[in-house]
Amino acid sequence: MAHVAHAEAQAGHELSFWRKYIFSQDHKVIGIQYALTSMFMAVLGGLLAMFIRLQLGWPGQSWPLLGRLFPSGMPDGQMNQAFYLASVTMHGTIMIFFVLTTLLTGGFGNFLIPLMIGARDMAFPFLNMLSYWLYPPAIIILLASFFVSGGAAGGGWTAYPPLSALPGAAPGSGLGQTLWLISLALLILAFLFGSLNYITTILQLRARGLSMMRLPLTIWGLFVTAILSLLAFPVLLAAAIMLLFDRIGGTSFFVPAGLLIGSVPVDHRGGNPLLWQHLFWFLGHPEVYVLILPPMGMISDILANNARKPIFGYRFMVGSIVAIAFLSFLVWGHHMYTSGMAPVLGTAFMTTTLVIAVPSAIKTFNWLATLWRAKIRFTSAMLFALGFLSLFVTGGLTGIVLAQPPVDIYFQDTFFVVAHFHFVMASAAIFASFAGTYYWFPKMFGRMMNERLGKWHFWLTFVGIYATFFPMHYAGFMGMMRRIYSPQIYAHLQGLQPLNVFVSIAAFVLFAAQFIFLYNFFRSLFRGPQAERNPWRATTLEWEAPSPPPHLNWGETLPTVQRWAYDYSPPDMAEDFQPQAAPAAVPTGRSREGRGDGGHAR
Amino acid sequence: MSEALQVREQHRTTASAWGGGESPFAVPWAKLMMWLFLLSDAFTFAALLTGYAAMRITAGVWPGAGMKAADFFHVTTVVGPMTFILICSSATMAVAVGAARRGDHRTTVRFLALTVLGGLAFLGMQAYEWTGFIREGARLTGFVGELGGKIQPMFPATFFVITGFHGGHVTSGVIYLLVKTIQASRGRASAESVEITGLYWHFVDLVWVFIFTLLYLI
Amino acid sequence: MAEHHESVRDGAWYRTYVVTWFWLLVITGLEIATVFLGLPRLAVILLLVTLALMKAALIAAYFMHLRHERLNLIFTIAAPLILIVILFLGVARDALNVFFLRQ
Ligand code: HEM
Ligand SMILES: [Cu+2]
Repeated sequence: MAHVAHAEAQAGHELSFWRKYIFSQDHKVIGIQYALTSMFMAVLGGLLAMFIRLQLGWPGQSWPLLGRLFPSGMPDGQMNQAFYLASVTMHGTIMIFFVLTTLLTGGFGNFLIPLMIGARDMAFPFLNMLSYWLYPPAIIILLASFFVSGGAAGGGWTAYPPLSALPGAAPGSGLGQTLWLISLALLILAFLFGSLNYITTILQLRARGLSMMRLPLTIWGLFVTAILSLLAFPVLLAAAIMLLFDRIGGTSFFVPAGLLIGSVPVDHRGGNPLLWQHLFWFLGHPEVYVLILPPMGMISDILANNARKPIFGYRFMVGSIVAIAFLSFLVWGHHMYTSGMAPVLGTAFMTTTLVIAVPSAIKTFNWLATLWRAKIRFTSAMLFALGFLSLFVTGGLTGIVLAQPPVDIYFQDTFFVVAHFHFVMASAAIFASFAGTYYWFPKMFGRMMNERLGKWHFWLTFVGIYATFFPMHYAGFMGMMRRIYSPQIYAHLQGLQPLNVFVSIAAFVLFAAQFIFLYNFFRSLFRGPQAERNPWRATTLEWEAPSPPPHLNWGETLPTVQRWAYDYSPPDMAEDFQPQAAPAAVPTGRSREGRGDGGHAR
Repeated sequence: MSEALQVREQHRTTASAWGGGESPFAVPWAKLMMWLFLLSDAFTFAALLTGYAAMRITAGVWPGAGMKAADFFHVTTVVGPMTFILICSSATMAVAVGAARRGDHRTTVRFLALTVLGGLAFLGMQAYEWTGFIREGARLTGFVGELGGKIQPMFPATFFVITGFHGGHVTSGVIYLLVKTIQASRGRASAESVEITGLYWHFVDLVWVFIFTLLYLI
Repeated sequence: MAEHHESVRDGAWYRTYVVTWFWLLVITGLEIATVFLGLPRLAVILLLVTLALMKAALIAAYFMHLRHERLNLIFTIAAPLILIVILFLGVARDALNVFFLRQ
């Protein structure tokens, strides 16, 4: 087969350092590059969140030390409004596009897809490299926007016009917003290149015997996610092009007639700001599932592995992933109930939104059934997987509340929504990423992470997340708006100040706890104990390769798959798991120790 | 699972097109990837055209009271022939692909070159059409001159953005085709790669079908 | 596919392309004629959209060889296009609302 031939042609010669680690075409290296860059961005996004909480906890307070570090954003140590709004916007943008999307699909996706399907690399390694190398320029452009006049974009991660369309509308609406759009356009290209590779690779390069219905759910999650980004991101790209024309070319796609800026009429007319919201959320809602489907898949694998039980209802799990993906294109209007959208559409979108809760619930119950009466192995990965379940349920329930227009009219743009999506999306996806890191770190780097530190990290993070985000429901209930710079100017919000202080302190603790993880990660990278081939006694293909896998992953022959991915605790077997590639029909009691390097004869 | 059952299932799996180790579609990966890219590009165009539809529906009268879009363009003398040329270039491309598959290099190169010419002619006529439109007073921000107040400002804007985006695709297509022609003339273009180039070119034609209908005719 | 044409006599293999080309031109002619016929507005729109879809189908099926691919590839390409219709319907319905609000 052509792809094998082209891969093997490369195997012979040694690559230079440059080609091996920097402009590498090896999916494992690219995956790790994506993951490390995302980690860097996560720290940055986290810092911005600390700024937000600093302002909300102690509005108007002066912090002389910070004032010296950020003379323009915090003159005299007091955060100004433009800097606050830029922090909110950039926090959202960075966390959603530059951390979670890149980490889950670029990092885990790249590393895991070829290994878990028994391929040597992606279908088109060069395109894969290109995909990664669009990411750093996008970061540089995004971060540069902090230093231009007016500062970074301040219109929120959703970039609603007219704030985002009219350069004079607010400080951050100037060059900062333009850079934001350009940076995002670059990243969209990176995602496009990635998705092309992931879909093609999963469809075409599966090992012999690995039918679609034998794929691990991680791969299903990544596969369907790639389809979502392939179809949804172009719509944002088109919207971004139109918005750029509005900003630079003077067109009026999103700007209606009759707007005033500082009592000067704007000479745009004929546009429709709701068009942006439609196009944005046509991407935006699938995008939130881009961030949750890979976690759902990873969690399924980690739960089954540590419960030592087959995943419950595999077919339903696959079916609900596909159903969620399809439905996610039909619900975008639930972000627009209060926008003045046609009321009949509100009803339609309410219906589809309530329907999408059904496949999500199916998955939740299947996970619970998988845990039912299991002898659970509480590794750090497993703890984070269980944490994911808790967070996903907490956040999913408030989703159902928000899905109903009459209720949402009250909650729209309050901290209740902030709590909803920080549970269901942000924290849940981060928990799954931690679970995935603890679980696959041995495969990635050939060393084990420290379990003791992992457990400390888990408990501090778990408690920290609930302490930070749960009170936000109440703040939203009391009418506290999101993205608000100075809540204390409203009488009805003044009573919430102690709560906000509590939330801010919880957030600081939460942020600090992440340094345990960073310490553990980097220390284990160099000092961790050597990992064996299959430390978790898992069934899936990636554990057949050495830890870390060599260039091109497999020895002479590709593995042949004999069964599905969840043969845990099979009856009448000595071992409590049966690897996907283990030769069929091993008689009871015989040990399978000392098998070859995953290269089973066909 | 019993042993016999397992053996049977394994046979069934490896015998199926979806059972791994081969392409379920019986196509090379590069061709599948091009199809997927085109699918995604279709969504970009679809979103632009949806934006155009939203502008038009919101405006009500389009492009202005008592006017038709077709009044502003040379539908029978320029745009019609442009469409004609693009269809012809798609046909020559199809012949080039067919010839490449049969190993007929001379025909491949000749028809690839014809396709390039078709693309260039299309671009030239598009430039002519733009010039005429601009002379009538069309600007990105709206109409200037005597028609200024009577015409929806988004009429020229949508026109320039959408045909411009399509023109960009045609331009990259011409470059792509030129590269392929040169490769083919040196005998270095595989039939598969010519076919993939063809997919892209036909897609550009396919999108034009909708742009022609929605922007010029309706 | 290659084998498909091999059995045909030499010179006849491009006949499908010629036939497709011919019909594409005929439909284009019909489209232009439609505009100048002075039919009711709705009829013009319906007619033009139908004709455009026919042309697109011809190009995809014969020029892009989709007809000769496996059925599962055809579905893979065609099924997602339904989402375009959904996007259009949602946006268009709301644009109509804005139109009425602005009257
Ligand atoms: C149980 C299913 C879910 C339902 C019914 C639901 C419903 C909603 C609704 C109605 C809103 C709009 C609230 C408003 O702005 O007033 C919303 C916001 C949001 N949801 Fe969900 N949701 C669900 C699951 C999810 C999932 C799984 C994710 C992500 C993985 C997610 C991420 C978000 C985000 C990010 C926002 C806020 C966007 C913004 O305005 O910045 N939701 N959800
Ligand atoms: Cu949503």
